[in-house]
Amino acid sequence: MMKKYALYPGCVMSTEQYAYELSLRAVLPKLDIELVGLNGFSCCGEPLKSVNQMLTLALSARNLAIAEKEKLDVFAPCPVCHLAFSECKKIVDSDPAMNEKVNAFLKDEELHYMGTAEVVTTLDLLHDIVGVETITKLVKKPLKEMKVATHYGCHLIRPTEIGRVDDAENPQKMETILKAIGAEPMDYPEKLDCCGGLLTANHPESALTKTGQKLQKVQEQNFDAFIDICPWCHRQYDSKQKKAGETVAAKLEVPVLYLTQLLGLSFGIPKDKLGLDLNLSPVNKLAMVGEG
Amino acid sequence: MDRKIGVFVCHCGINIASTVDVNTLVNYAKTLDGVVVSKDYKYMCSDVGATLIKDAIKKHKLDGVVIACCSPRMHEHTFRGVVEAGGINAFNLEIANVREQCSWAHEDKTRATEKAKALVRGAVAKAKLLESLETSKIDVNPDALVIGGGIAGIQSALDLAEEGHKVYLVEQRPTIGGRMAQLDKTFPTLDCSGCILTPKMMEVANHPNIELLTYAEVTGIEGSIGNYTVTVNKKARYVDMDKCTGCGDCVEACRLKGRITSEFDEGMGKRSAIYLSFPQAVPLKCTIDKDHCLMLTRGKCGTGPLCVDACEAGAIDFKQKDKAVELNVGAIVVTTGYDIMDPSTLHEYGYARSNDVITTMQMERLINSSGPTGGEIVRPSTGEKPKSITYVLCVGSRDETACAWCCRIGCMSALKQVYLLKEKCGDDVEINVCYTDIRSFGKGYEEFYRKIRGMNTNFFRGRPSEVRNAGVHLTIDIFDTITNKLFEISTDLVVLVPALIPRTNADELARTLRVSTSADGFFLEAHPKLRPMDTFTGGIFIAGCCQGPKDIQDSVAQASGAAARAATILSKKELEAEPMVSFVEEELCSGCSSCIAVCAYNAIDLVKREDGKSHAKVNEALCMGCGACVGSCPSGAMQQKGFKDKQLIPMVDETISS
Amino acid sequence: MSIVDLTSMGEVQTQLRKEINERLARLQDEHSDYCFQCAKCTSGCEAHKLLELEPHRMVALLKRGLIDEMMNSDVIWACMSCFKCRERCPQKVAPVEILFALKNLAVASGKQIPGNYTAWLQSVLSIGLLQEVKSVSTRDNKTKTRADLGLPDASKPTDPMKFQTMLSKLAVEKV
Repeated sequence: MMKKYALYPGCVMSTEQYAYELSLRAVLPKLDIELVGLNGFSCCGEPLKSVNQMLTLALSARNLAIAEKEKLDVFAPCPVCHLAFSECKKIVDSDPAMNEKVNAFLKDEELHYMGTAEVVTTLDLLHDIVGVETITKLVKKPLKEMKVATHYGCHLIRPTEIGRVDDAENPQKMETILKAIGAEPMDYPEKLDCCGGLLTANHPESALTKTGQKLQKVQEQNFDAFIDICPWCHRQYDSKQKKAGETVAAKLEVPVLYLTQLLGLSFGIPKDKLGLDLNLSPVNKLAMVGEG
Repeated sequence: MDRKIGVFVCHCGINIASTVDVNTLVNYAKTLDGVVVSKDYKYMCSDVGATLIKDAIKKHKLDGVVIACCSPRMHEHTFRGVVEAGGINAFNLEIANVREQCSWAHEDKTRATEKAKALVRGAVAKAKLLESLETSKIDVNPDALVIGGGIAGIQSALDLAEEGHKVYLVEQRPTIGGRMAQLDKTFPTLDCSGCILTPKMMEVANHPNIELLTYAEVTGIEGSIGNYTVTVNKKARYVDMDKCTGCGDCVEACRLKGRITSEFDEGMGKRSAIYLSFPQAVPLKCTIDKDHCLMLTRGKCGTGPLCVDACEAGAIDFKQKDKAVELNVGAIVVTTGYDIMDPSTLHEYGYARSNDVITTMQMERLINSSGPTGGEIVRPSTGEKPKSITYVLCVGSRDETACAWCCRIGCMSALKQVYLLKEKCGDDVEINVCYTDIRSFGKGYEEFYRKIRGMNTNFFRGRPSEVRNAGVHLTIDIFDTITNKLFEISTDLVVLVPALIPRTNADELARTLRVSTSADGFFLEAHPKLRPMDTFTGGIFIAGCCQGPKDIQDSVAQASGAAARAATILSKKELEAEPMVSFVEEELCSGCSSCIAVCAYNAIDLVKREDGKSHAKVNEALCMGCGACVGSCPSGAMQQKGFKDKQLIPMVDETISS
Repeated sequence: MSIVDLTSMGEVQTQLRKEINERLARLQDEHSDYCFQCAKCTSGCEAHKLLELEPHRMVALLKRGLIDEMMNSDVIWACMSCFKCRERCPQKVAPVEILFALKNLAVASGKQIPGNYTAWLQSVLSIGLLQEVKSVSTRDNKTKTRADLGLPDASKPTDPMKFQTMLSKLAVEKV
């Protein structure tokens, strides 16, 4: 039974975090999920909330409206976009005055936001909708107790008030999936620390400090890999790991992978289909990646 | 016969008069059919007001009185007395509530006055149809029931027993003593808790008027004030109480010794399957935990149960069964106490992630010399002495996402423990206290807080965001609003002061007793200021933490108060029952039993007549006058005195007419 | 009758405070009045150690109506919207949202937008995305484009003119 979603990629995945997109496109069809590409999407607006929240609400609404036009639910792999859409729905669906205001802006592009599209992101799609049982059945190459540190990021799990995808203080859905594919996720004190990603706008060095500090702690605790699920976080931990290490004066050599990349490896999907050569962190330290 | 009605409009200071035009109301009343006199006064419930009414009754030979004032809940009782003193039957009184249901609910003066007129109009219409009613008398059973054997229950039971009443004290645990038995010392005097508690426990055990039912629970209740029949389930201990001497040999011998988490030690220690909660338990009899005992769960215990071998008195009896008993009492005092919130609901404080994060009650068990570590303060993870202990107050308290209320005793309990820890460990141990406010409100409390401030304790004003594992230690970042600095505290042992919550079975007990609970789940007092031990259910009183968190002295004070309240019922030979009970017009009744199905008080029976037909009959002693039966009756046979259809319908008609 | 802060000689800005509170109540059902300064937010603030942001102090200044002091400061831009303050506050105050309101107000009143935000805005205006579609480097220093990787073109607004018209209207709109 195929479930169809409009793929709302968001800016970071569309413009530079291609490994995430590759791994999603490789893994999801195996789980009976079809991704439909739509034209017309723009930024969700969340990174611009500091400038003008009205901009954020209108941008989120217009993107949702585009999917609604095609009668599709929305899959937003980036948790920052997912939060933008969730907050937009919460505010606009419950306040008729805001609904009217937002739709007045959408008229320029002949769009109308109705609030009918459901929005999911990668973690709830995998854990709640596809289900761990289905995932387990597809495992061909279990990960042989790879000791992994999970990084949920901030926008995926907070604030609970808006309705997020896992528990804010003790999220376990990534752990459940990772155990199902043979990995050994371990708790660590810094698990809920922020990557600093959104500070890149105006405090890039502090952002890298946050990134470096967390990676340093992860490295000290001898994890085999650091698993994330957000393109903003991955850009910090993976693409900027070297810079982050320089910022905190530490030599960082932590393999950082998207959850979907690890999932794909366990399903036996070939490495080149999962974008593993795009990871700038030393992922080839992992046996499953290094060999061949 | 034309009735002569008097209308009396109260200003209630400005409570009614600032919104309702009382002059207009008084003059309007004069125009109503049947009204011969209409007066107003600032405070009708005062002596002057009462005299006004009594004089008017006599002068105008009134036979019905309407008072436009506050809610009948406030002064109906008072005004009935006034009317009777004026010389007519007390039930020829009708109250028009123009305060709670008019002046206090509205702002528009014109419309509020129109509404008040309508309410008075309807009241007058009913007053013309009121009938004299006689209160009936109900015999009062002079015995009392106290539910819950903690310090509050013990105090209530002793007070009532000393007044000469027979008291049943029902306690769900195998021993009385409650929370106080778990404590080491009490604030602010630092009395040894056990030392002041156990003499009272012994008094209860030895008092000729007190019958102790421990390891027992209330399962049902029937009847009403003055006459309750309460069903109690005495759980099987699997130990013959007459034979057991409490020697404890069985506890030592038990195959599961040291394997079962001890509830008394708040999970800090272990016990056997057969156990004595603590050495001074009353009654000093062992109990077998049927959820863990091998004989009771699997039918066999190794080659044979070791407790049986060890027991010289031959008191073990695996064939014992639960036993239901019925108690007849005139009043009930509920003193069932509180539970402690599980701090893992605030996951950020690390309670579930580290053994070195404990609650104040768990620390109390460590401090107590008859606790699991013999009074040694140790880190649960290593068994070694901690070098630094950090208290986090208000965990789950004053928190809109957990318990909105203040736990009232958290600050003082924490300060008390700081004192005891300093006494035991000296300055070898660094003690930090992270607080939001220090509430040292009681007598001697502020002096105690000052003392602790002088004992080299680090106070940080702020709430930490999390408790983090840091290898062997724990770290807490706390922004101290006093110095405006962020401190990183590296500590060995974290003590959380958790919120206090209603007992998990409080809800069920409330439903069994038909007692209300407030929004926070604690039992609801009839009035927070003037009736803190009464409930809205006649004959049932509450005291101690089951009404809301409080310290020992307030619990004891409330317990004595509740006993005195209960005694106002128990000391009477008979009570006057409200006459507004239901009754059946037998000729109209078909015996359909709809009324019996809706009666929550089991007050209606079906009786057979000589001609074979059945009809309903109301037991006036049990009827609470709720009127549900009247509503359910399809034929109109069921009516309620003082609220008959033929009285209510004209009232409604007049109220809504313009 | 007046209340003046003697360190800054700033007066209470009641109207602006009212405006901010109204926005918070409407969008997040948040009532910063209930803050009792427990500082749990600041104790756990991800931006505090590096950038000295004190969310509880922002709430206190809002309660006092000393808005300009905050709008003129750089520290309100230090928030990295981790939402821990909103998540853990025991009185349902959301300092993060107060900061968003202050930042929006600062921008609307003509203060300079710091850092990259202007670049992001300009990029969204011209191509709908925060930045242009990039070529990336692999771990062994090869360059790849979306097309090289077999990925379809990035989705962008189909009618840029209409999109820009909407955006320029939005830019001056308050939420």
